Parts: sequence; C-alpha cells; structure tokens
Amino acid sequence: MRSHAFHPTVTSPIKIDIWSDIACPWCYIGKRHLEAGIDALGADAPDVEIEYHSFELSPDTPLDFEGSTVEYLADRKGMPVERVEQMLQHVTGVAANAGLDYHFEKVAHTKTLKAHELLHFAKANGKQLELKERLLKAYFVEGGRVNRIDELVGYAAEVGLDADEARAALESGSFASEVQADIAQAGAYGINGVPFFVIDGKYGISGAQPAEVFSQAISQVAGERAA
Amino acid sequence: MTGQRADAAAPTPTDAAASPFTMVTGDPSAMVCEGDVCFVPAAE
Repeated sequence: MRSHAFHPTVTSPIKIDIWSDIACPWCYIGKRHLEAGIDALGADAPDVEIEYHSFELSPDTPLDFEGSTVEYLADRKGMPVERVEQMLQHVTGVAANAGLDYHFEKVAHTKTLKAHELLHFAKANGKQLELKERLLKAYFVEGGRVNRIDELVGYAAEVGLDADEARAALESGSFASEVQADIAQAGAYGINGVPFFVIDGKYGISGAQPAEVFSQAISQVAGERAA
Repeated sequence: MTGQRADAAAPTPTDAAASPFTMVTGDPSAMVCEGDVCFVPAAE
C-alpha cells in the first residue's frame, strides 16, 4: 500500500487497480513508471491505494522449463534466435532506464498461478505490494523459481509474512478461487494484455506508459473529486 | 515473452467494446504483454 501526503480536497485514497503477471517484463517496468509518476506529484500528491490483480499471461507454460528465454521464445514462437536476442536486449535496456537490472539469461519460465495465490495471501495480510516487488525481482533479476512452494515461502518470509501460514495457504490452494476471480474479472473488462491500470474505477491505462501519463491521470481524478 | 508482434491478426490488448473504462491514450508506443509476446498496440 503506497501512501502520500493527505490532500485536503480528497477524502479517500484514489484506488489504482492493476492487472499484472509475474512473468511480464513490461509489468515490472510499468510498476516503476507508475511509482515514478506518483513520486513526481510531490508533496501535494493525493493518497493512493494500489491493489494488484492476477493475470496469467500464458496458461500453457510448463511448470519447469529448463531452457533459456531465447530457447523458450525461439521454440514456442518459431522466431529466429537473433531476433529474440535483439528483443531481449531492447527490453533489458528499457528496464535499465527504469532502474531495473533484468537478466533474461537467468529467467526460469514457469506457470505463475502459485505466485498469484501467494499475492492474494499477502493482500489478506497487508503485504501485497512488498511481495509483488519481491516476486518480480526474483523472476527477472535473480532467476527465481516462482512456482515452487519452498521458494515462494522464502519470499513471503522475506517481506514479513508468516512462513508457516504462507505454506499452508499455498499447499491448500485456499486462494486459488481469488486468482481465478481476478482473471475472470479481467475477461469481463475486456482486458487481453497487461499491465492494465484502472484509476479510481474510471480511467483505464494500458501498457507500460511513461510516468507522466500516470501523474496526469491521478491529478485529473483528484481534480474531478475536488470539483 | 517480449518483442514486437508482427502478425496482422493479433488481438488488441483491450476490447474497447467490453471495457467499462474511459481509456487514457497516453503513449501509443507503450508496450503490452499478451500470451508469450509483448508488442506495441499501435503497431497492430
């Protein structure tokens, strides 16, 4: 939960709902851009409340693909290896501009449903934003296996969640229905790609937009509330 | 996972007809991920 100085004309935080997947390079970049957009509003920024929602980009991803990102994309999409490498270099460069140190050579492709379950567990315990950041870093920077319960429990503990409770939630699948509800909601909203941001339940923003786009949208909502 | 999609029949990141939101245009070159690939919606 990100909070800024109270604005006298805004009585409740501006809600920012974000549909996102762990295995989404532009979701992490978009997260940084949103944060920069909020920071750019300075001391007069309205309070915002951020909530992440589950989105599974590629449900047919194997649980433990052992090859590299280049092999994964070349094999699955039939793209030339040179082209894949160029694209990864481009994304890595954009990520670096956003302050992110991507290492696609480490990325362990996997299904992300268990990670999403853990994010819902974290939300129920007030640590969703911290865990979202930790999981994205694990996936794109460290090459973490975000489908494995033991590793997920470790990430949960790192952000201050109870390890035993996190393990129990993952092993029981007690948050699986919340994950599917988020995915279904995205479908109902016509969201096919991520990241997708909804500002105050009113304005939709698709993609890793520049920071100023988020600043402007938040300012507009704050202005409308004050009018 | 990443890159600019080239197939002309590719879906758009948001079905405008289904969306209850007022879409902020922003930067048309902002990247979106869908399935295994990421692309520029404006290039579709």
